[in-house]
Amino acid sequence: MKRVFLMAGLVLPLSAWGHHGWSGYDSSQALKLTGKIVASGYEHPHGHIRLEAPGKTWHVVLAPPSRMERRGLPSEMLKPGASATVEGFPNRNKAHEMRAERISIQGKTVELR
Amino acid sequence: MTPLGAIEASPLGEAMRTWLWLYPAVEVVHIVGIGLLFGSIAVLDLRLLGFSRAISARRLAAHVLPWTASSFLLIVPSGLAMFTAHAGEFIQSEVFIVKLLLILAAGANAALFHAVTLRTADVWDSEEVRRLPPPPSARASAAASLVLWISVIACGRLLAYF
Repeated sequence: MKRVFLMAGLVLPLSAWGHHGWSGYDSSQALKLTGKIVASGYEHPHGHIRLEAPGKTWHVVLAPPSRMERRGLPSEMLKPGASATVEGFPNRNKAHEMRAERISIQGKTVELR
Repeated sequence: MTPLGAIEASPLGEAMRTWLWLYPAVEVVHIVGIGLLFGSIAVLDLRLLGFSRAISARRLAAHVLPWTASSFLLIVPSGLAMFTAHAGEFIQSEVFIVKLLLILAAGANAALFHAVTLRTADVWDSEEVRRLPPPPSARASAAASLVLWISVIACGRLLAYF
């Protein structure tokens, strides 16, 4: 039994380390961007848009399409040309990438997490 | 078009990205396969580490290893299907390359165990000496197997976060 606990002690920290979620994004820097969608992908595992915001075009990572569909954000709403506002956090390593917590489009706000 | 681009543009890659429930369904198949693979390997590795010595290691191996082998029928096609969705990104991911190398290492470790240690099981797995701890080679092989497969699973999970 002692050995079982010893092994659990070895394995658990590993699994915790594998579960640190979205640490690739800097949650201390909240961003709110408004711009025009210039490209979009309603794709697994995550949807995404290219958002032309003042001064910079961002690659915005959204949620899985199955979740967006359920929450009332069908693919037609993400078409290029539409104007959108996203709130989220920048990627720590990729200067042009951010992960959106929510997106507002055509007067509708959808939570992505 | 690059070979990876052609894979992504294939009907399967396209379906994996755009069909609403295909990707999650394939993930379920992959995870069920991982459960069968790791579950079956872990009980044998624990036996080889010295747990449950009342059970013959060879009889346990004969029972669980066909299930381990079958698990690849679930894991490999589902893994390849997910690969087609974003082949270019996967190949560029260090975590993905490490995962593949770890799978090769786990396979080499298993092959070594079968080619060497299991051949001498008549000696250490006999009725008379079975209650003694297994030989160091068996324990080393089992420990390596557990560490390698846990690392493979960790890499698979980290793919989503790196």
